Amino acid sequence: MTGLEIGAAATVARAERDGAARGDTARGETAPADGWRHRHLLDVDVLSASDIDLAMRTADEMKEILGRPIPKVPTLRGTQVTILFYEASTRTRVSFEVAAKNLSADVVNIAASSSSVTKGESLVDTIRTIEALGADIIVMRHGRSGAPYLASQVFSGHVLNGGDGWHAHPTQALLDLFTLRERLPGGRVAGRKIVILGDILHSRVARSNIWTLTTMGADVWLCGPATLLRGFERWAEAMPAGRRLTVTTDLRAALRGAHAVMALRLQQERMAGGLLPSLREYSLRYGLTAETLRWARADALVMHPGPMNEGVEIGPEIADFERSVVTDQVANGVAIRMALLYLIAGSGPIEEGGNRG
Amino acid sequence: MADTPRPGERVELLEIEDAWLVDPGSGREGQGSLRVEDGRIVALEWAEPEAGGRAVRRGSATGRDVAAADRPAVLVTPALVDIHVHLRQPGREDAETVATGLAAAAHGGFGTVCAMANTTPAIDSGGLVEDELATARASGSVVRLLPYGAVTAGRRGETLAQMGEMADAGAAGFSDDGSPVADASLFRNALAYAGALGRMLVEHPEEPSLTKGAEANEGLVATILGLKGWPAAGEESAVARDLAILAEVVGANPASAAPHLHLTHLSTAGSVELVRRAKAAGLPVTCDVTPHHLALHEGWVAGDRRFAWEAAASPWTGGRTDAAPYDQSTRVNPPLRTPADALALWRGLADGTVDAIATDHAPHTQVDKLVEYGDAANGISGIETALSIVLAGVEAGLLPLADAIRALTTGPVRVLGSAATAAAGRRRAHEPLVPGLVEGALASLVVVDTADTWDVAPATLRSKGKNSPLLGRRLGGRVLATVVEGRFAYADAPEEALAAAPR
Repeated sequence: MTGLEIGAAATVARAERDGAARGDTARGETAPADGWRHRHLLDVDVLSASDIDLAMRTADEMKEILGRPIPKVPTLRGTQVTILFYEASTRTRVSFEVAAKNLSADVVNIAASSSSVTKGESLVDTIRTIEALGADIIVMRHGRSGAPYLASQVFSGHVLNGGDGWHAHPTQALLDLFTLRERLPGGRVAGRKIVILGDILHSRVARSNIWTLTTMGADVWLCGPATLLRGFERWAEAMPAGRRLTVTTDLRAALRGAHAVMALRLQQERMAGGLLPSLREYSLRYGLTAETLRWARADALVMHPGPMNEGVEIGPEIADFERSVVTDQVANGVAIRMALLYLIAGSGPIEEGGNRG
Repeated sequence: MADTPRPGERVELLEIEDAWLVDPGSGREGQGSLRVEDGRIVALEWAEPEAGGRAVRRGSATGRDVAAADRPAVLVTPALVDIHVHLRQPGREDAETVATGLAAAAHGGFGTVCAMANTTPAIDSGGLVEDELATARASGSVVRLLPYGAVTAGRRGETLAQMGEMADAGAAGFSDDGSPVADASLFRNALAYAGALGRMLVEHPEEPSLTKGAEANEGLVATILGLKGWPAAGEESAVARDLAILAEVVGANPASAAPHLHLTHLSTAGSVELVRRAKAAGLPVTCDVTPHHLALHEGWVAGDRRFAWEAAASPWTGGRTDAAPYDQSTRVNPPLRTPADALALWRGLADGTVDAIATDHAPHTQVDKLVEYGDAANGISGIETALSIVLAGVEAGLLPLADAIRALTTGPVRVLGSAATAAAGRRRAHEPLVPGLVEGALASLVVVDTADTWDVAPATLRSKGKNSPLLGRRLGGRVLATVVEGRFAYADAPEEALAAAPR
């Protein structure tokens, strides 16, 4: 397997597999959980408000499990989850791994250091290899938008998108929503003004949040320099009635009356690409600081998908500020990922597992 | 049942009764019958008398008022001409060879194709042009191959290729297609130099600084799918540059060395408008559009499978539709544009701004296509589906049939101009490239059953390139036979359907 490295943490050996059960889930012929009808999780655009509600309620149950002394249930016993990451990531990869292990799944970690194409083995061949090694679920991160769709076309199991290019980061958007639901007064997202701030153009987090937040009725605002908002005005114009999306370069207008602000990571290479003059100028005009945050509501929440560039898109005083929910986001990530793994591949009640089929 | 005529076999007797005949050379269109004996059209009868040199039916001079339903199902036109194909030989014979490419052309109804020079090595010398012509002769196909030579040595965009030598060897024109001639000074020199050789420069208009890494048309679909945008301005700014330089070269070259610029695969409304104005100003510019830019649109990248004219009223705005998104067969350069752009291309054909429909047939292997969308090779294998989807547009009322056939026959021949005569003259100087439906002429024609359908599938495509977004689709307009210079290039069984006499 050129270009692939089976991580030391990989658990390849596992309990004998129930072949019949695998057949069931692999072909997606069974409805694993009541009301969930998606074999894969490739994007959030296909999720209805009731799908999202189900994911939230399932994550509530998972969060309860995480509060126990031993946060482990047998739900996915005998299920092999392969975590295939083509991009460097710590929090998302570990979060998925912890989530899968909490559900008693067997976890295989594959770190593909760079694009499969440059390494000689195609993505399709890699997926077929992983399937032959017994994977039931592939959690995949890839630098190219759409790559998980290709994987889903050749894999007979379930594909869970852990982030693809600029396109989608479904579990991040769902954990953001979960966190907002927990922390906003009344637990209500509908009608609340949520600002996504920064490099929208290159952000899969922004795109997925646009879908989930507008589906749940939030008033979503996108703000950043014009070069990093390119194309989104058209999206706002194309939004069907009932979905609220506003695009602006004016930070003050964006923050005015905001219930929550989500700052996005700014990559260094945006300067080399001629999209921005300097980090300093960006931070002065679009940095979320104690000062600029005054324009928002007094109880506005501060969010960040991480990793943060403190002093660039977010002031250090804000990062550990009392209304910052950044660490909640990380903790909730595990609950959301447990919920999604269960919803796409599980069967029966959460507290039971193993003997599927 | 008699045998299906083999490619290359001379047409001994072919009688087509009660067909719809379209002859763009004479401007005539109407019901009639045709008889080919020993390769020649020996009888041609129009069902209704000629008046004023034109077919008359229901008082129409052009046949525009004849509803498709009133036409006979069998359509006969001169064999089609495609001035933009990629045959991949030499260098990528796994993707296509001259033989398979010409077989695909014949299956699509084409009797003449012009092959781009972006092979490996690039066709940039007289010897390589001769090799290409020799390969075509050796293929046994009767489809005519007119090769283009590269504009720059090795298509590297640095110095001029051996243009004079290639013209002498039979190059029909010059193009670095696959890439633009990005250096404006070199482009100017190439245009001036080619003018003196009586050959056109076929330019792929693209401003590379605006399209670096681009994956799909910059617009709603690319934004939602997170694909890097290929803006319309990336094409239009190149078209504007090329036209400004053309005007300068027209003024500077001696009248005997007039330049001719041909802009290929225009894909945006803005590009067509720029050419419209340039033509009005008298500049020697021509252009073509592809069938996929006429019929498909950016929504196809997102999984929409409606034709452009069906999507125009309600373009894709998000969410999923008919198919999974990121189908690599929709990745093409220039990218599929908006339905509004597609309609503007049809209007360009209707008003004569656009001279030709050219397929940009770009076969690729599965290895090069079945990868991540942004890594997939650009291009659509399109020469076999071209006629069917153009006829679908005609049926939808976007263009009169006669205009569509003109854009596939006499239009491209006019673009080739004297180069066509010169290149064809190397074979048979007294026979024009598109002889038309004329009694006594050596038959070069295509017979299409417009009432029948065919399934686009890997097995039905003769091209090695199965990279078509239309795979799995049933299309109208089945080619029954393609005849070139009195010989079958393609014939479909049953032979009775062609009414060809058994041997």
